[in-house]
Amino acid sequence: MATVTLEKVSKVYPNGFEAVKELDLDVSEGELMVLVGPSGSGKTTALRMVAGLEEISSGTLLMGGKVVNDLAPKDRNVAMVFQSYALYPHMTVAENIGFSLKLRKVPKDEIKRKVKDAAQLLGLGDYLDRKPAQLSGGQRQRVAMGRAIVREPSVFLMDEPLSNLDAKMRVQMRSEISRIQRRVGVATFYVTHDQVEAMTMGDRVAVLHLGELQQVGTPQDLYERPDNLFVAAFIGSPAMNLFEAMISPTGDEVKIGAQTLGLPDTLRQARPALAGYRDRKVVVGIRPESLIDAALGAAPPPGATLLADVELVEALGNELQVHFLIEASAVHSKATEAATGAEELGGVPVLQMGGNKTEGVARISPRSLLKAGDRAVFQVELDRLHFFDPDTGLAIWN
Amino acid sequence: MSVGSLATKDNRPDRRRPHAPKRGVPSRARFVLRRIRKDPASIPIFLALLVASGVMLYPFGFMLLNSLRSQSQYLSGSGFSTASWSALFSYLPVGRELLNSALVCAASIAIILAVSSSAGFAFAKLSFRGQGALFVTVIGCMMVPLQSIIIPEYVNFAHVHLINTYLGAILVYAGLGTPFATFLMMTFYRGLPEELVEAAVCDGLGYESTFWRVALPLAKPALATVAVLQFIQIWDDLLVGLLFLQEPTNRTITVGLGVLSSGRVVAIPELMAGSLISALPAVIVYLVFQRYLVAGLTLGVNR
Repeated sequence: MATVTLEKVSKVYPNGFEAVKELDLDVSEGELMVLVGPSGSGKTTALRMVAGLEEISSGTLLMGGKVVNDLAPKDRNVAMVFQSYALYPHMTVAENIGFSLKLRKVPKDEIKRKVKDAAQLLGLGDYLDRKPAQLSGGQRQRVAMGRAIVREPSVFLMDEPLSNLDAKMRVQMRSEISRIQRRVGVATFYVTHDQVEAMTMGDRVAVLHLGELQQVGTPQDLYERPDNLFVAAFIGSPAMNLFEAMISPTGDEVKIGAQTLGLPDTLRQARPALAGYRDRKVVVGIRPESLIDAALGAAPPPGATLLADVELVEALGNELQVHFLIEASAVHSKATEAATGAEELGGVPVLQMGGNKTEGVARISPRSLLKAGDRAVFQVELDRLHFFDPDTGLAIWN
Repeated sequence: MSVGSLATKDNRPDRRRPHAPKRGVPSRARFVLRRIRKDPASIPIFLALLVASGVMLYPFGFMLLNSLRSQSQYLSGSGFSTASWSALFSYLPVGRELLNSALVCAASIAIILAVSSSAGFAFAKLSFRGQGALFVTVIGCMMVPLQSIIIPEYVNFAHVHLINTYLGAILVYAGLGTPFATFLMMTFYRGLPEELVEAAVCDGLGYESTFWRVALPLAKPALATVAVLQFIQIWDDLLVGLLFLQEPTNRTITVGLGVLSSGRVVAIPELMAGSLISALPAVIVYLVFQRYLVAGLTLGVNR
């Protein structure tokens, strides 16, 4: 087992394309680090550099304190689980799992024992003599896991291992992988584009965009204190509502369209940098669960509500997702569009504000009677508002 | 084996070809009838195919029928005898020639398989300096007609005393067959997921051992295709054998038949008997391995 450290690791392809830019990451023993980002963010390239399948253009990769930049994959003692599982089709499950041990000339009895143990751990005991073609997607995924853990590697690398499974199986395997990873206690890199996977599995999550590390932290950190607009828009489902807003000259109010929200002292103390934005434009972020149907509780204090027109109500059983239109300018940036999967990226300036009405989502109690066409009054959890600089896209904190 | 396990095995769907029609003539006839009933416009297509089959099968019928006649029976068009078969075996060392053909075929195919399977892997899965130029050269070799190089080849082989030796003919056949076989193998290896090779590399294999332990075992169907195609081509070839194997002791069966038909008087029934013997191995190989042939020839189509 070992820690893995990436120090300013970059990947530049011969055509000049920079897939990963000066990536700094530190993964300790037993930690599950999730690399998450949209397509083209460089997460898989970073993983492949750790595996040794891709040359490192610059920077240093350390495993257990040793520089391994020039070591061949087989000498790094890493085990990788691929998106397509990459099982050897001509070998049985047992042969697949034990193949790497056979190559290391481990005695046959020991191979048999280790394969049996791994199969038991993964619930594959009855399938050891089958070929991969005779297994379901979930079983193949488990074989791929078995192949990785039986080697007792220093580092686990997983490249979107659940993306070929159906939704139900994905949820099941998500917890199984977490369980197995905790049990074997090996430093693990887990690549995914699914932020739900990232949030539920990662001890820490590294968010990448266009080859650059945006933020690294615990899932809760990323959710509650996103460093920039990209992370704010990417982490969370449904995504954070982002509106153009104006801080009042006195600094104790923020105006979203024609509506005004008061900024409590606690919020301003937690974000001292907000004082520098008096009478200036900002981007306000409101998580969908920070909007509450005001009709369900006591009358909200003044300056803590937003009016919006309900367009659609989705009942999920435990909550309602209310899609609404609000009189405010929407926020469009390359970062937010990439984060939310908006397709049109070309020609969008760093930050563009505009439009009279903006869409938003609220997650509210199923007891609410709101329906499409209603004029809703949402109480806003003011302490949980997020603020971003419209020019740099960075969060306004200290 | 228990009844239960038998039942399970019988009920198990054919995973390789889940929609494959049942084998045998009746099921095929049923398929044709069903198709015609469903789509009467397909009748002309089936008629055309029927005529084409007749054209293909006629020579075989002609060979079989006339090999069972003596020269006089052949000329009169009636009666049957085995005289031509007895005469054929007395004129020609048929066994020896068949053995020569088998030897030349086996050795040539072995060389072709060895070179094409490894070269195809290198072109498909590795990147190396000069790869593009080398690949174009291999493809270029496929386009050179045999007839245009056979004389210089003969002269060169004569210089190194390889005329009238098995080795000479084997090298020529291997040289002619390898470019296409390499192309075919490369197409197959390109279909293998990149991740499979990378998984092997992570497991501790080098590229060479990945070839031996992962790629080659998976390439069995492609290797079978190459072997069958080359077998039919080499077994049926006359020109190379005629030039490079002229001694009566090392002639192949096609060269032997060529000699038989080059006399002043040509006995058609004996020639037909010889042709039948010569054609039979290729036909059998084709019928047994036709699944591989179709699979091999459509490699890369569904991608």
